[in-house]
Amino acid sequence: MLTYNLRLAWKSVRRYPVLSALILLGIALGVGVSTTFITAYHVLARDPVPGKSESLYYVRMNSWGAADDPFLQTPPPIVTWRDAQELLKSRIPVHSTATFASRGTVFPADGARPLRQSLRLATADFFPMFAVPFRYGGPWSREADAKPETVAVIDSALNDRLFGGADSVGRTIRVEKAELRIVGVLAPWRPRVRAFGLFGSPLQAPESIFLPLALTGPMALQPNEGQMNWRTPAPGEDKLPYASRLMVNEILFLGFWAELPNPESVKAYKSFLDAYVTEQKKHGRFPHPLNNRLTSILDLMAELKVVPPQTKALAAISLLFLVVAALNLIGLFLGKFLARASTVGVRRALGASRWTIFVQHLVECELMGLAGGALGVLLSLAGLAVLNRVYGDGPAGVAFFQLDVPMVLAAVILSLLAGAIAGLYPAWRICAIPPARHLKSQ
Amino acid sequence: MPMLKLDNVSKIYRTGLVETRALRDFSLTVDEGEFVTITGPSGSGKTTFLNVSGLLDAFEQGKYWLDGMDVSRLSDREMSRVRNEKIGFIFQGFNLLPDLDVFDNVDVPLRYRRLPAKERKARIEKAIAMVGLSSRLRHLPSQLSGGQQQRVAIARVLAGDPKLILADEPTGNLDSAMAREIMEILEQVNEARTTIIMVTHNPEHAARAHRQLHIADGRLVDFERITPFPLNRVEREISSRQVAG
Amino acid sequence: MEFGPIFRSLLRSRARVILIVAEVALTLAIVANCLSLILDTRAQLAKPSGFDDEHLIAIQATPFDDRLRDPKILDQLVEQDRRTLRAVAGVRAVSHTSLRPWERSGSITAVRLPGTRNEPARTQSAEADPGLFDTLGLPIVQGRGFTQAEYDQGGDAPLSEVQPVVVSRALADHLYPGGGAVGKPIADADESQRFTIVGIVDHFYNPFGETSEKIMLLPARSASFDYGSRYLVRTQGNPAPLMPQLEKALLGVEKGRFIKLRTTVENRDEYHGRDRLLVGSLNAVMALLVLVTALGIVGLTSFSVAERQRQIGTRRALGADRLAIVRHFLLENWMVTSFGVVLGVLLAYGLNFGIVTWVAGARLSAATVAAGALALWTIGLGAALGPALRGARVQPAIATRNV
Ligand SMILES: Nc1ncnc2c1ncn2[C@@H]1O[C@H](COP(=O)(O)OP(=O)(O)OP(=O)(O)O)[C@@H](O)[C@H]1O
Ligand SMILES: [Mg+2]
Repeated sequence: MLTYNLRLAWKSVRRYPVLSALILLGIALGVGVSTTFITAYHVLARDPVPGKSESLYYVRMNSWGAADDPFLQTPPPIVTWRDAQELLKSRIPVHSTATFASRGTVFPADGARPLRQSLRLATADFFPMFAVPFRYGGPWSREADAKPETVAVIDSALNDRLFGGADSVGRTIRVEKAELRIVGVLAPWRPRVRAFGLFGSPLQAPESIFLPLALTGPMALQPNEGQMNWRTPAPGEDKLPYASRLMVNEILFLGFWAELPNPESVKAYKSFLDAYVTEQKKHGRFPHPLNNRLTSILDLMAELKVVPPQTKALAAISLLFLVVAALNLIGLFLGKFLARASTVGVRRALGASRWTIFVQHLVECELMGLAGGALGVLLSLAGLAVLNRVYGDGPAGVAFFQLDVPMVLAAVILSLLAGAIAGLYPAWRICAIPPARHLKSQ
Repeated sequence: MPMLKLDNVSKIYRTGLVETRALRDFSLTVDEGEFVTITGPSGSGKTTFLNVSGLLDAFEQGKYWLDGMDVSRLSDREMSRVRNEKIGFIFQGFNLLPDLDVFDNVDVPLRYRRLPAKERKARIEKAIAMVGLSSRLRHLPSQLSGGQQQRVAIARVLAGDPKLILADEPTGNLDSAMAREIMEILEQVNEARTTIIMVTHNPEHAARAHRQLHIADGRLVDFERITPFPLNRVEREISSRQVAG
Repeated sequence: MEFGPIFRSLLRSRARVILIVAEVALTLAIVANCLSLILDTRAQLAKPSGFDDEHLIAIQATPFDDRLRDPKILDQLVEQDRRTLRAVAGVRAVSHTSLRPWERSGSITAVRLPGTRNEPARTQSAEADPGLFDTLGLPIVQGRGFTQAEYDQGGDAPLSEVQPVVVSRALADHLYPGGGAVGKPIADADESQRFTIVGIVDHFYNPFGETSEKIMLLPARSASFDYGSRYLVRTQGNPAPLMPQLEKALLGVEKGRFIKLRTTVENRDEYHGRDRLLVGSLNAVMALLVLVTALGIVGLTSFSVAERQRQIGTRRALGADRLAIVRHFLLENWMVTSFGVVLGVLLAYGLNFGIVTWVAGARLSAATVAAGALALWTIGLGAALGPALRGARVQPAIATRNV
C-alpha cells in the first residue's frame, strides 16, 4: 500500500509541476533558513567543553589596590602571577590551571624565514581540563611544570607546516631563544567557543603552540591579550625586563580555572580562597572587602554575552519563519487537494475508505516534506558557508559553523513535522467531504 | 419597435482542428413585450443563441441591434453595461453566488449599477417579496430548495428591472410543481411588458409563449412546418400575425 | 464599494481567510522586528571614526633578529622607517603611533582632575608622534599638537615631569564641563603622574572597551622588541595597491622583522563583520519570508479564482466588467490582508516585547511598524494582482454552461 501511495504521490507531483515546485520551495526555504540560524545559535551556545562545563570554575578575586574608584569594587577578570602560583598549590580541585596568551617567533630548523605564532602558556592540567584532543604524544607532566622543562605541544597545522604532518614527538622546535622538545601534537581542533579565553577573543581559534606556564620568565614572554595594572611602578622598576616585573608586581594577566567535580569541593575551594585572601590582607594586599567569585563556564558565557543576543533573536525569528512556511504549505496543499476533489470522489465511490484517502494524501505531504527538507539542508549548507566566510575558518581547515548529526536529524524531523502539520488539515478536509459532493461538482 | 434584431449572425467554435458552426446565418426579430420560447435538440445552438443575444459571447458575422442600439461590436465595458442595465439572465443551474445570502445575491447587479444604498435596499426587498421569499433574506443558497433558489435568481433579475430576460432552461432542474410556479412568475413579469426569451425542453411550457421558435443545427426552423403539437389559441394568433407581417 | 457582501462572504470561507491572516500577521510581526533590529544595527555601523579611514594603512613591524633588542637601534629604525615610508610615491603622511583605529586594541587608563576625589574617567590612551593628526585627518580644534622635542624625549621622561597631552572633545568636556580645558591639568587616578592638556581633537570615535569617544594622546616613541613599532600611513589614493611597495620598502630598511600591513577599511569591516553579518542575515530572512508569504498569497488567491470560475462568469453576466472582477478580488484580498496587518501589528509588539525582555534590542518604533504594515499591504495587493487579472479573463459565457 505504501508503494501504491508513493506512486500516487509521484503522479500528483507530476500533474501539478509548478504548484509542486512552489510547495517544495516553501518547505526548502523554511527548513533551510531555520536550520541555518538554529545551527549558528546551537554552535555558539552549546556546552563548550561537553561533560565538563558544570565542573569547570573560573576564579576571580579582588586584588585591586585601595582607591576610591567604584570600578575597583568588582573583582578584575584576571589574576596576578603570585596569586596564581599560590592557588595552583591547592589540591582541592581535580585539576587547576593558570593560563595566558602570548606571541612568539618560531625559527624553522632549515633556516627559512621565521614565523610569528600565537602561544598559550598553561600548566599540564590545562589539557585534560579542556578535553584537548591529541594526534601524537600527549600533554607534558606536572613535573615538567615544576622544573620547568623546555617542552611544547603544537597544533596540527604547525606540525603540517614544520614536519610535513609526521609524528614530531621528540623533535625540537625553536621558539624565541629556546629549543623546545615537542611532547604532543594536537588533532585538528576548533572549539566554537574557547572556554579558556573567554575574556580575550572567545570565538577565535586556539593558539598554535602550548608551553608550560613556568617558561614565561625564562623565555621572557609577554601577555598579548589583556593585562591590567593598577600600581604605578616604583622608580627604576620600569627599567626591569617586563617578564620579571610580571612575576613580582601586581600586574594582572592570568586566567585561572579550577575543576571542582561536586558541591563539596566547590564549597571547600571557596573557603580555601577566602582563607587565602584573608591571609593576604595581613600583608596589606586585597584592601577591598572579601569578594571572591567562582563562576561556571556556562554562567560566565552568559555574563560575557559570548553568544551575541542577536543570534538568539535570529534563531527565534527563523523558527517563526518555519511556522509561516508551514501555514503557506497548508494553503497550497489545501488548494491542490481540493482542485482534484472529483478524482477523490471517484476513488471513494470505488470503495476507498476515508482513512485510505487520508493516508494517501498525508503520504504525499510527507514526501514533499522530506524532499523539501533535503533541499533545505542543502540551502542551509550554503547559508552556513556564507556565515563561515565571515567568521573565518579554523587553522586546520575546520569550519567554524558545521552541520552536525543532531542538526541534520533536527532538520529531517523539522521537515517531516512541517509536512505533517501542513498536510494534516488539507488531508482531513479532502477525506471528510462526502463523495457525492465531489462527483457532482465535476 | 423590435427589442432584439439579429441579422445573419454566425457563431463558430474552434476547438483544435474541429470547427463547430453553432449559429449559421441566424436572423430573428423579437418585439418588445413578447414572450418567446425556443426549443430544439441538444447541441442545436440554443444556448449559443442566448449567449450571443445576451452579449455573453462574441460572434463572427452579422449584425445585432438591441433595444434600437447596434451592439455588434462593443467593448467589454460597454457590453457589461448593457448586460447590467438591459438584460436579465436566468440559468438552469441557478448560478447564485454560494458565499452570499439571498439579500446579497439580489444585490449583485445593483452594485454594478452603482445605485445608492437606499434605493438598492428598496428594490431588493420588493423583488424578493415578489417571488415570495421575504422570510428568507439571510439564508444562504445552500439552505434553500432548488425552486427557492431559482426564485432568488428571478428576484435578482427583477430587482434590475431589465427590458429583456434571457432564460436557459430555467425549469430544467426542478420538479413539475416547482417548474409551474416559476413559469407563473415569468408570465406575470411578461405581463408588465418585459420581453422574455426562454429556452426549454418542456413542450408544455414552450406552448405557453406568444411565439415558439425551433432551432436545429444552428438555424431557425420554420415553426409551422415542424411543430409536432397543436398550438393554443394565442400562439396561433401571433404566429399568423407574424406570417402576415 | 461592496465591502459588506465581500466581508460577509469572507466570513464563510474560513480556512483560506485564517491562513492568509495568520501568514500576513506573522510575517508582519517578523518583518517589523527584523527591520527594527536592522535599523538599530545600521545606526551602529554608520558611526564614522572621524579619521580618513579610506586612505589609511596600519603597519606593525615586529623584530625577531636579536640585533634589534638594542633600544637605540630600534629608535633609529623608527626614524629610518618614517623617512622611507614618506618617500614612497602616493604616501601623504606617516605617523609612528600606538593608536590602532578599529582594531579593538589599545590601552585604557583612568584619569581625573588633580586634587579631586571625583570618580576617575576611563579613557583610551595612545602614544603618538607630531604627525598623527595629519595622518588621521583629525584636526586639532583647540590648542596645539606635539612638538618634535616633546616626542623625542617623551618615552624617557621621568614620571615626575608633567607631560603634554592632546585629548578628545569628549574627554575634555567630561573633565572640564565648563570648557577652556586647554592648558588645564589632568592626573592619573592615583596622581602619580600629571599631564597638561595642550590640544583638543574633535569627532574621535574608535570603539574599544567602553570608551569609544575618549582618548588621551601622549607624545612618545612606543617601540619595543616584543611589541615592535607601529605606523599609520595616509595615502593620496586607494591604499591597497600601495601595500606591497610599503612592505618592500620597510624590509629594505631592515629585514630582521615581520611586517604586517592592513588597510583601516579592512580593519573596520572586520570590526563590523558580525553586525554586517547580522544585517545581511536579517535582510535575507526578511526577503525570503516576504517571498514565501507572497507565494502563499498568490497560491491561495489563484485557487480561489480557479474555484470560482463559474461565479466570476455569473458576475460577468450580471453586468460586471473586467475591471469590476479585478477590483473584487483585490478588495477581497485587501480586506483579508488588512485583518492580517491589524493582527500583525499586535503580534509585532508582542514579539518585540519578547525579544527586548529575553534577548536584547530596541523597542519597536511606530514608524517601523507602519513601514512594515505598508509593505505587507503592498505585497498582499501585488500578490493578488496576477490571479485577479486571470480571473478577469474568465468568459462570461461560462455562466450558461450547464453542469
Ligand atoms: N465553448 C464551446 N466550445 C466549443 N464548442 C461549443 C462550445 N459551446 C458550445 N459548443 C458547441 O456548439 C454547439 C451548440 O451548443 P449549445 O450549447 O448552443 O447547444 P444547446 O442547444 O444549448 O444544447 P443543450 O440543449 O444540450 O443545452 C454544440 O455542438 C456544442 O458542442
Ligand atoms: Mg444549452
